[in-house]
Amino acid sequence: MMTQLKEGEAQQKVQGGKLLFVKLRYDDKISELRILGDFFIYPENALPKIEGALIGMRVDENVHTFLKKICDVARRNGIELIGITPDAIAQTIKMAIK
Amino acid sequence: MKWRVIGLKEHDAYFNMAADEVISNKIAENQALPTIRFYTWKPGAVSIGHFQSMLDEVDVEKCKELGIDYVRRKTGGGAVYHDENGELAYSVIAPEELFTKNIIESYEVICGWIVNAFSTLGIDAQFAPINDIEAGGKKISGNAQSRSRGILLQHGTILYDLNLERMFSVLKVSSEKISDKMIKSAKERVTCVLEHANITREQLYKGLLKSFTEGKDCKFEELSPEEVRMIGDLAQNEYKADKWNFMR
Repeated sequence: MMTQLKEGEAQQKVQGGKLLFVKLRYDDKISELRILGDFFIYPENALPKIEGALIGMRVDENVHTFLKKICDVARRNGIELIGITPDAIAQTIKMAIK
Repeated sequence: MKWRVIGLKEHDAYFNMAADEVISNKIAENQALPTIRFYTWKPGAVSIGHFQSMLDEVDVEKCKELGIDYVRRKTGGGAVYHDENGELAYSVIAPEELFTKNIIESYEVICGWIVNAFSTLGIDAQFAPINDIEAGGKKISGNAQSRSRGILLQHGTILYDLNLERMFSVLKVSSEKISDKMIKSAKERVTCVLEHANITREQLYKGLLKSFTEGKDCKFEELSPEEVRMIGDLAQNEYKADKWNFMR
């Protein structure tokens, strides 16, 4: 029997930066995730790479595991974040998981 | 380096966004000079940043009711209301190597052209990182930059006059309905040229044109017929499409 996915969202204004929203659906793992806000990412088409890498991660992972994943993807793809940080994304994901 | 300058024109939101992309591609293919262009938005429009949600940021039904366009930009940044009469916009599109690799520093270079124009018009303004210009501690210009295929695109808006009631009738600053309190709060954060200098929008444009072109070898010309055709196609097929505008 299929379990109903939970939905979560959280936001924060990054200090000295921009607004960051995370919306996600999950059970014991993240099945859908959107990172939204008025920040900048270079190259612009790289955000789905970060989102895609986080899908499938267990929701009970600690913030450092999410942070490491985001940093790995950013480094591998030469992604530059302006107005948000990998740390802020990881924290906001944990906030969105109730 | 020779630059192409396209003087002030009035276009709709979809044309404006498609124009920046087509020009960027032409420059990437060595088929166009680095380009500076000035424009206004008719009808008025809301543009949202690349990574924002249209439905979270914009009251789409209200836009339809008021005849205001809505479009997603290729650049990041926030949602902006582009008033038909209260704003002047620019785009700078050029090979990245003409600017510093550091993105914030390159914002400062181009925003510096606006600050310089303001100075000649008697407005004391400063670059406010990451991507704003402030006068008297309030935002007077917002700017957004993308880099793709070796091309830097920075576009931005200069607030000439404010229509906060209209602005907040289409922007969802909060889920609450527009209130006097919210407008007061925005007035504390946003300003416009007319609050600092009694000049026409034409005078503002002339000041910006002089500052943006200063020290550059400039050729004033229009978009080519081929560019206009390509822009029309891209506007219709991508920037007007729900698939693009509602992708987040």
